[in-house]
Amino acid sequence: MKTTHLVIDDKPIIAPEGTNIFQAALDNGIYIPGLCYHPKLSQFGGCRLCMVEVTERRTGHRFACAHPVSEGMIVKVNTPKVIRYRKSVMEYLLVHHELSCPICDKAGECSLQDITHELNQSPSRFKAVRMDYPMVRDNPVLELNRNRCILCGRCVSTCKEIEGIAAIDFQNRGIKTVVGTAFDRPLACSFCGGCVAVCPTGAWQDRTLGFKGRSWEFSKVPTICPYCSVGCTVILNTKLESVRRVTSDDYLGINEGNLCIKGRFGHEFIHSPERIKTPLIRKNGELSPTSWDEAIEYVAKRFQQIINEHGGTAIGGIGSEKCTNEDNYLFQKFCRSVLGTGNIDNMANIKSPALNGLIYESVINGITSASLKEIEHANTLFFIGADMTEAHPVAGNMARKAIRLNNANLIIANERGVQFNSIAKNDIRLKYALGSQVILINALIKVIIDEKLVDLKKVETSTNNFDKLRSLIDKFNREETSKITGVTQEVIRNAALLLTKSGNCYIICGKDIEENPLAEDAIRALMNLCSLLNPAYRGDAGSGKVSLFFSRSHNNSQGVNDVGVVPGFFPGYVNTNDVSNKEKVEKSWGVKFPDAILKKDAENVIDLALNSKLMALYIMGENLVVNYPNGKKIKEACKKIDFIVVQDTFLTETAQLADVVLPAATFAEKEGTFTNMGMTVQRLNRAIKPVGEAKPDWQIICSLAQKMGQSGSCVSTKEILTEIESISPVYAGINYDRLRRKEFHWASSVYNKNKSAKYTFGMVKTKSSEIKKNKDFPFVLLTGASLNHQGTFSRHSKSLISVAPECFVEINKKDAQVLQINNGDRVTVESAHNKLTLKAKVTSKLPERTVFVSEDYEWVPVNLLRDRVHTSVKIYKETV
Amino acid sequence: MDTKSVPLENKNKIEMTENETQSLVAVCLGTGGIAAGGDKVFRKFEDEIKKLGLGAAVGKRVCKTAKTGCRGLCARDVLVDVTIPGQASLTYEKVTVDMVPQIIEEHLIKNTPVNKWLAKEDYHKFYDTQQRLVLANSGIIDPENIDEYIARGGYTALKKVLETMTQQDLIQEIKKSGLRGRGGGGFPTGEKWASGAKYSADEKFIICNADEGDPGAFMDRSLMESDPHAVLEGMIIGGYAIDATSGYIYIRAEYPLAVKRLRYAIQQAKERGFLGKNILQSNYSLDIFIKEGAGAFVCGESTALQYSIEGKRGMPRTRPPQSVEAGLWDKPTVLNNVETFGNVPIIINRGADWYSKIGTEKSKGTKIFSLTGRIKNPGLIEVPMGATIRQIVFDMGGGIPKKKKFKAVQIGGPSGGCLPESLLDSPIDYESLLSLGAMMGSGSFVVVDETACMVDMARFFMNFCANESCGKCPPCRIGTTLMLDILTRITQGQGEEKDLEVLEQMADEIKTMSLCGLGQSAPNPVKSTLRYFKDEYIVHIRDKICPTATCVALHRYEVVPEKCTKCQACVRNCPVKAISGSTKEVAFINKEKCIKCNLCYEKCNFMAIK
Repeated sequence: MKTTHLVIDDKPIIAPEGTNIFQAALDNGIYIPGLCYHPKLSQFGGCRLCMVEVTERRTGHRFACAHPVSEGMIVKVNTPKVIRYRKSVMEYLLVHHELSCPICDKAGECSLQDITHELNQSPSRFKAVRMDYPMVRDNPVLELNRNRCILCGRCVSTCKEIEGIAAIDFQNRGIKTVVGTAFDRPLACSFCGGCVAVCPTGAWQDRTLGFKGRSWEFSKVPTICPYCSVGCTVILNTKLESVRRVTSDDYLGINEGNLCIKGRFGHEFIHSPERIKTPLIRKNGELSPTSWDEAIEYVAKRFQQIINEHGGTAIGGIGSEKCTNEDNYLFQKFCRSVLGTGNIDNMANIKSPALNGLIYESVINGITSASLKEIEHANTLFFIGADMTEAHPVAGNMARKAIRLNNANLIIANERGVQFNSIAKNDIRLKYALGSQVILINALIKVIIDEKLVDLKKVETSTNNFDKLRSLIDKFNREETSKITGVTQEVIRNAALLLTKSGNCYIICGKDIEENPLAEDAIRALMNLCSLLNPAYRGDAGSGKVSLFFSRSHNNSQGVNDVGVVPGFFPGYVNTNDVSNKEKVEKSWGVKFPDAILKKDAENVIDLALNSKLMALYIMGENLVVNYPNGKKIKEACKKIDFIVVQDTFLTETAQLADVVLPAATFAEKEGTFTNMGMTVQRLNRAIKPVGEAKPDWQIICSLAQKMGQSGSCVSTKEILTEIESISPVYAGINYDRLRRKEFHWASSVYNKNKSAKYTFGMVKTKSSEIKKNKDFPFVLLTGASLNHQGTFSRHSKSLISVAPECFVEINKKDAQVLQINNGDRVTVESAHNKLTLKAKVTSKLPERTVFVSEDYEWVPVNLLRDRVHTSVKIYKETV
Repeated sequence: MDTKSVPLENKNKIEMTENETQSLVAVCLGTGGIAAGGDKVFRKFEDEIKKLGLGAAVGKRVCKTAKTGCRGLCARDVLVDVTIPGQASLTYEKVTVDMVPQIIEEHLIKNTPVNKWLAKEDYHKFYDTQQRLVLANSGIIDPENIDEYIARGGYTALKKVLETMTQQDLIQEIKKSGLRGRGGGGFPTGEKWASGAKYSADEKFIICNADEGDPGAFMDRSLMESDPHAVLEGMIIGGYAIDATSGYIYIRAEYPLAVKRLRYAIQQAKERGFLGKNILQSNYSLDIFIKEGAGAFVCGESTALQYSIEGKRGMPRTRPPQSVEAGLWDKPTVLNNVETFGNVPIIINRGADWYSKIGTEKSKGTKIFSLTGRIKNPGLIEVPMGATIRQIVFDMGGGIPKKKKFKAVQIGGPSGGCLPESLLDSPIDYESLLSLGAMMGSGSFVVVDETACMVDMARFFMNFCANESCGKCPPCRIGTTLMLDILTRITQGQGEEKDLEVLEQMADEIKTMSLCGLGQSAPNPVKSTLRYFKDEYIVHIRDKICPTATCVALHRYEVVPEKCTKCQACVRNCPVKAISGSTKEVAFINKEKCIKCNLCYEKCNFMAIK
């Protein structure tokens, strides 16, 4: 990177070539006033405040944000002339800007206030003029006060470049220019709140804040978002022990200040009146409040009873995709060493049992090595089976950054059409037939091998089994592949060409691939593909990186598996059957494991319950009744369990079946760490004291353990993480204090420690999965993630409910026509097990004869319909 | 028969008709001509000639009708040229439909021109003093007929360039000629093309700026309506110079006739191989597309124009990067004005040396000006650079009508400045005008006489700029409106002492801080009127009087007691009952209540109100 030397205000500066003066000053702590420049966005140059005096060949005045640095340039930021002109621009702005500081939520953090004050304005030559624009308040979370808008263009750029939606733009011209939507229609965007975050004045406002505090009264605590698995840093603004709003910081965390509607506006659940405030015990059929002592004693007693009568393995444990690593680690330690059971599991593993092993293998073989933020540096992105806009919106923003700055290529492959806004010049969208993903991936591999798009000789020498792979792929027929997948040969070829271009190639494997009966084959095929795309074999050898990312649904879906809440694995994917592993753990925990708990059963916890082998179930942080893929089964299973303990934040459907409910603290009320989908461990910071009598999960488990006779006290999450570090090989080297400054990326840590093993190509079956269609149930039910909701927390956040109060069933346009269903009609979706009635949404994105219902609306139990991933259903209109 | 001082173009015409042995009736069908009824006159000629079957009646003579484009002297429309073979062509002015039969009978058939309807002395004087290079074909040829353009030497420049010149040769030639951008910026065209040629990309664009937003400017319109192929030829040559892959003509939608004629011209040019793949069997290919504007003055600004073509909002952007490096769709783009392109074929055909002898040292060639306002001959003129204002206003323009005195001329539209009588002898070129506080601009000349209020004129132009501001930067968006407010107050008698100082300060601030040319030049009319007509401002502010009685708010209505007959016509009709009086009392107007609606003045039959 070529650098330039210049002098700003007598300070010598070194800046990369092509930087503008404003950014160079910003990077070196020199202040130049400006309202429209933003490092994340493309240059606007509209506010005219950043005028500086520049001497290049001659001395003149330039606008810092629009002028690139040059060698030997001398810049003076505050000459009298420049100050005079800046004052005049500010004077013009203040004529029309509504000076409503006393009632404006932006007061105290308003750039306009700051700059006016700093410029030391003299009395204006003009009389103030009121524009009297009406407030734009057509949605529950954002409001626009045009009287305060100074038309800096930041919100317009954010919406266009970062979110890719461009819901707002300038309207009219001259003094009547305002920011608004097309034809003044109600705002219909993703409500990410990016406009509020970048607005320098009080024009865009967060309605969840609504006068609940002045900016200087807030304590600002950065922590990690509790929703999806991107792991954005959110800043909780608290006053008097309550979280009033969420803001973002461009320089903290991996999300660069970008958030989505859940992260920014979905915080109201923390103080929802529905929170469980005290422990509850079922007495006479009713759950009634009790004290912690009583609750803990009761649970400990019952557990001990069951252990004595039936053995520890009669107790099952379900860990949480939403709780911290420390919570989960203690959970599995408690279950294994105190309860004496190895029958533990978590929802992520239940939905996708092969994933843990494959992830670990990917890391060891160097196939997964990049952290999520590195997506911003991609040259080619391939999303397969992933709906980035709904499931991981901020990762989608990272992808758009790569497209904008790196001219990245984009390939999106799904079984149903998904929305992803991009300006990529090479943008391939594939829709493959249901169940044909393995064939599609193999088809890509075939093109690469047949047309020698990579150096096949190098591949052969650097891997194992390549010749076996070749002969398997040889048997493929391209025409047949196209027929089965529904994707033309030309498109597959174009995709393969893009993938093999030099540079960074990142593949994101989505939920539709992972939670599918073909998951193991598909992921194995993706691993094969990735290995083939190794930069050592393509383009300029060594330039660029290839990495495979695994989508996870929740904020700690990765972590809960990393710390061992998985049957058959100790923390860190250490096989429980291995004797030396067992001994190491036994030594650390000071226990001796009976053989029974180390075997991995073919049956998972729920199956055991169904077969009446489970007497008790300890559920932490999961709404099993709604989330378990087969609703009928889970209800039955719960009926067969004698004693259910649920530890959660709200009285969910599962908690309502429990015998004991223990109130848990939310992410805002505890310390700990989360691991995101890119294997990055990040630290939380506690912002408020626990609400009511709730306690952090790890403290509850500790109390239970102590009650059941385990010695030792638990003081802090730091201690727990230190213990994790000593046991879990994947977290080796992690340090709680260091996490304050820098997140820990375990994939690269593992990768760096072990020279990556030679990858062995796995032979993958090439048939597509059978989707049994049946005359009575001619449709296939598809499910997936949703932007506005994710389970328990979003359900209790009133702003999210306002934005998305209803769950829809999406239906294909042609099918809708045949069945005479219009948008908004009430439609019943019925499977062999159950039925649901929802409002219809007609779309052309779905393949024919399928319907889509989101899984994330907790009060809509889609799982009651399902018995497998692709359940057959029938659709009919509700007759009134 | 009038044969003295036949202008240059007519000589060519005689040759043409001699070869043709056909009488020719050419009707001016530029927008001005059509507005004056040219369409109807043309059709009448056609109908009558057909009716009379003139072919048979006059033996060998066959009469043909033709349409031509604008020839500049729009005040005398409809202009009709009648050419009898073997004789000089004669021009009739202000032809109406009723005059047609007589012209046909007497002139065409009997060969006696109708002298009383012929163009007067000053018509020819109007043309004699001009040097019509770019407008050479305008008003002579049928703009919808490519053959007429070719017959007069059209597309020979293109041929010469493609067959004998390299890109570098061409750019050198244009540089040598000293051609400067005619859209107002005056940037040396050769340099711009040289920069454009420097950058390589998979796509490069050449754009013709035909937005012509200045109120009062219609040079580009006329050129496009009357001689579209000249513009195309210049554009194609420009494209070759920079190796453009496509060309765009951005033309304002308010010029439907020009759009139509250009579309036609492009189609014809393509048919003949002057556009499209392998032009004239060379290696160069170019396609030209037309994009219509949507009614924004700011889209005449180069970067805003490019955004508009891309389908985005026309808001100018900061530079760097310059358009030549990354312009339309981030590709290297060269943008030139219509008239600039119109000059290119002439330079190629006659040579840069010949061209550079016309004009002044720094401003070469000719410039087309549109004369409007209080002037006897409003219309288009083309003069070499360096002609004086006096020559243009008095010699060609014919001076001020109704024996009024010349007061000022606004040169350059809303970006330009007003120059007073004392500067009448200043030469017109880029540098001199700038030093005087005016600007060449696109070339619109608005002449005002002693009845014009300079403050109101400044207000008018500021109003225009404030309405057309794109809204991006505060100095222009807010500054122009605030300046407008001050000017409006002054014209309404609410000016304050400090206003002039504030206006000066603001003019300086807006000029320095604005992002694009619109804002940077918006204060020019105010600055120049303050410089040369400050006393008018002072009278408005201090005395609350408008010396030219233009500012309505400053009108004062008074009854002349001696003339008042106490008829009470005014009292009865005053809508705000501001007049008191009775059959015994003379009427009296309460100036506070008076809303200056002028009704009393109109109602008084005795001229007792002034």
